[in-house]
Amino acid sequence: MENLNSLMHGFGVAATGFHLMLMVVGVLLGILVGVLPGLGAPNGVSLLLPLTFSMDPVSAIILLTSMYWGALFGGSTTSILFNIPGEPSSVATTFDGYPMAKQGRATEALSLAFLSAGFGALAGVVLITILSTWVAKFALRFSSPEYFAVYFLAFASFVGLGGASPFKTIVSMMLGFAFATVGMDTISGSLRLTFGFSELLNGVSFLVAVIGLFGIGELILTMEEGLRFEGIRARISPRDVFATIASMPRYWVSLLRSSLIGCWMGITPGGPTAASFMSYGLAKRFARNKEGFGKGRPEGVVCPETADHAAGTSAILPMLALGVPGSATAAVMMGGLMIWGLNPGPMLFIDKPDFVWGLVASMYLGNVVAVVLVLATVPFFAAILRIPFAIIGPVIVVVCFIGAYTVSSATFDLWLALAFGLVGYVFKKLDYPIAPLVLAMVLGDKAEDAFRQSMIMSRGSLAIFWSNPLVTGLTALALTLLLWPVVGFAREWVRASRASALRPLSVRGAADEATGGLSR
Amino acid sequence: MTHTTPETPAPALVSRRAAEVAAALFTGALGATVVVGAREYGVGWDSAGPQPGAFPFYLGLIIVAASLANLVRGVLAGAGGAFVDRDQARQVLAFFGPIVAFVVLTVTLGLYVGAALYLFGVMLVQGKYRWWIALLVSMGVSVFFFVVLERWFQVPLLKGPLEAALGIY
Amino acid sequence: MKRITALALALAATVASAPLAQAAWQPSKPIEFVVTSGPGGGTDTFARVVQSIITKHKLVEQPIVVTNKGGGSGAEGYVYGKASAGDPHKVIFGTNNEYLLPLVAKLAFKPDDLTPVAAMAMDEFLIWVNGAAPYADAKSYLEAVKAKPEGFKMGGSQSKDTDETLTKLIEGATGAKFIYVPFKGGGEAAVQLAGAHVDSNTNNPNENIGQWKAGLVKPLCVFSPERLPAGAKVTADKGWSDIPTCKEQGVPIDQFQMPRTVWLTPKAPDDAVTYYADVLAKVKDTPEWKEYIERTSQTSRFLSGKDLKTFIASDEEKNRKVFEKEGWVVK
Repeated sequence: MENLNSLMHGFGVAATGFHLMLMVVGVLLGILVGVLPGLGAPNGVSLLLPLTFSMDPVSAIILLTSMYWGALFGGSTTSILFNIPGEPSSVATTFDGYPMAKQGRATEALSLAFLSAGFGALAGVVLITILSTWVAKFALRFSSPEYFAVYFLAFASFVGLGGASPFKTIVSMMLGFAFATVGMDTISGSLRLTFGFSELLNGVSFLVAVIGLFGIGELILTMEEGLRFEGIRARISPRDVFATIASMPRYWVSLLRSSLIGCWMGITPGGPTAASFMSYGLAKRFARNKEGFGKGRPEGVVCPETADHAAGTSAILPMLALGVPGSATAAVMMGGLMIWGLNPGPMLFIDKPDFVWGLVASMYLGNVVAVVLVLATVPFFAAILRIPFAIIGPVIVVVCFIGAYTVSSATFDLWLALAFGLVGYVFKKLDYPIAPLVLAMVLGDKAEDAFRQSMIMSRGSLAIFWSNPLVTGLTALALTLLLWPVVGFAREWVRASRASALRPLSVRGAADEATGGLSR
Repeated sequence: MTHTTPETPAPALVSRRAAEVAAALFTGALGATVVVGAREYGVGWDSAGPQPGAFPFYLGLIIVAASLANLVRGVLAGAGGAFVDRDQARQVLAFFGPIVAFVVLTVTLGLYVGAALYLFGVMLVQGKYRWWIALLVSMGVSVFFFVVLERWFQVPLLKGPLEAALGIY
Repeated sequence: MKRITALALALAATVASAPLAQAAWQPSKPIEFVVTSGPGGGTDTFARVVQSIITKHKLVEQPIVVTNKGGGSGAEGYVYGKASAGDPHKVIFGTNNEYLLPLVAKLAFKPDDLTPVAAMAMDEFLIWVNGAAPYADAKSYLEAVKAKPEGFKMGGSQSKDTDETLTKLIEGATGAKFIYVPFKGGGEAAVQLAGAHVDSNTNNPNENIGQWKAGLVKPLCVFSPERLPAGAKVTADKGWSDIPTCKEQGVPIDQFQMPRTVWLTPKAPDDAVTYYADVLAKVKDTPEWKEYIERTSQTSRFLSGKDLKTFIASDEEKNRKVFEKEGWVVK
């Protein structure tokens, strides 16, 4: 109740004409940097930062966070239209978003993505509003073993055993982990697997790999099939946007589940990327009918987007209350906070209630502004697909390489993106799943660090992973999720072999369905 | 991901089996590299938990083992149709070749010049556009990115001799 | 058209200024500030503050672009600087890791590859414990650690970096033995201490101030010869100047500081070094810089030229001793 009063006060601070104007400007700039290759929220925010030095902190943070929301929305746009994720957290959106665009349903896919992202973001802010005090305390209970358990949980929920070719899944996943180990090792302070190449100091960048595997790999495949974007002749009308808005209630289960996953991953240190993968994985696993995932199923867009934004917004809270930035963008914003003379930390809520609650209120308003603005741009973006492939194809190639270069301004990354493009093409044709590789690259080094920190703390004893109720619960849940498909498989197998006495033909179908837990 | 084969399949240039074997050998080689590289850092388990090389070492071993399994399965699976036929290979090379050229040009001449040349060439040769349309589009795209990235957002991209000659950078 | 004009002007300027070419070096194209840490790190804030001051006071004619190259604990940025040998339009921002990193890891650059320009501030180090810990001063805490070897966890940022070096120095000076747990950065180490997952850390003032305000962590002593300058109170009754020095507390370590340094590429002309040193000296005198120093509780100390070289040599020597003792030095 006290929080609600504070929030009302916050609305009083945030809802001025000047602030609303800042939100619109911030969101529009954010969409621009999100859509343009090689620019992400961190660039945009650090560029605007000097402008905010002379502003009052509330206005400054409203401008910067609005830009952040805009950039997150913009990142999903390129995932859906070109299979190039603008932000790491929108990788999972490509799985079904891009197929939808290819089928001429770009407007629907974009609208779905923006609406569910808006829903997720609001869920995250509501959580912050109601539980701010509790969340800040809860986050303090996480140490390395808990971190590891959370990463393990995210992984287990996305990748199950089974599937058409387990060995290919294993190769793909382990390659992802191996790429993640390249570069400076936090725990020992030494360089690993760089083989003396300075180019590998910074490791194999996740974004470069994704640009190659998804963007370039997919383009080569499209060329080989002699296809053009099938969306070219699709009619684009604002009416599709409204039709999609009307269809949203149909996905209430997905929205609710994904919001919960997102909020959970946001306040625990899992982060938006892990949240979106986890949400996609669970959506697929709980779906009664698993057909169609990866081929343009609306839930495949709704789930990762909701979870991504729920996690992104709810992660703001630990950042403010603990002073630990959850992402590069958050880190830049925190730098700003200090320049404005504010110290992130538990006392911020007590010392500067105007700032904190003004920010929270602006998150409600900013996200609503962002959804409205971004929906208005949908027909425009969908129209990009009308450009002939002979022009847009090569332009996407250029966009991919600009994106790869700007990750760390390294020429080497251009070659790396090219190589990953080739690998992506061959892997897709030979049915090696790519998603486990990507997820392993995202979580690999964090999980390894957390594991080894835990081992240092426990002097090498694995018992630390069930040393308190929190970590025990997380570990148990992760193991359950990991082994779930095996249990399901065994159950189906028993049932099928019983049934096979009567109907021998049913065995295959049942087994296929049971092993559907494995991702693409 | 299934790929529909054409009604009358063109002669296979690379068989599926050959591609499977090649892919397995490639991943196996990557795995072996990781194993060799990791051995330098200690692969044991001491009082501070696993040593720096342990995690990559075992990853490498698993990659090698799984690649071997894929290799065996690939060989046993039979020819299994075409990985790419002649027509597809031509399409892919026609697309991929210019990309490689683009990267080479970019590394030597900078990203803006490389991108303009690449777009111009592809539109002219493959898109069969008239030269002045190709020129306009390719220059337009490069200038657009230059203005947005370098001027507005101050994100420097790779630049070559031309930018230096113009005194822009 | 504009460009051609610019070109013509540039040519004219070159011709006109040819006789004066000896006078002073001036940047002729946009300057790149290379930051050897990721966005949001201490070095990043340092570089961006300098950038904003230069821009605000128009100390440099050319625009300045900041790029982050924090890979390999900052090695990425230094290697990049080395690769741009002779280009005086790239300025590299770092700490003492420029000359310490190559000691502990096999890297593609040597300490004397880059050209030192200036050191602008010194970041201080303190011993912090959890706010609820039963230790009132450094002496009683270190006694407790000594009584139970490897029973206390010291959190810190990175491995074989300043925090672990200081931990080893404390161990050497007092006979205590910690378990050192490396985290990605000081912020993480601060939260782990606030949550009582580690027993202490050696964070810089700026990294722990938020948690200290809330009473979740408390400082025991500071590694400097004198107490920190008095400022506003941080908690209800304590400010930076109320923290005793570690020497007062019987820890025989006089001083442990981390310089914030600025470098140029190898073979940069001497004129350029002087030019940047002058610009940075002007930066140091602005009110914005003073405000940054005060806010982050660093010590302002400007070194350039010969003083800087002497400082680097002695700082490297001090650290090398610890590294050699711990067997961290790579051949």
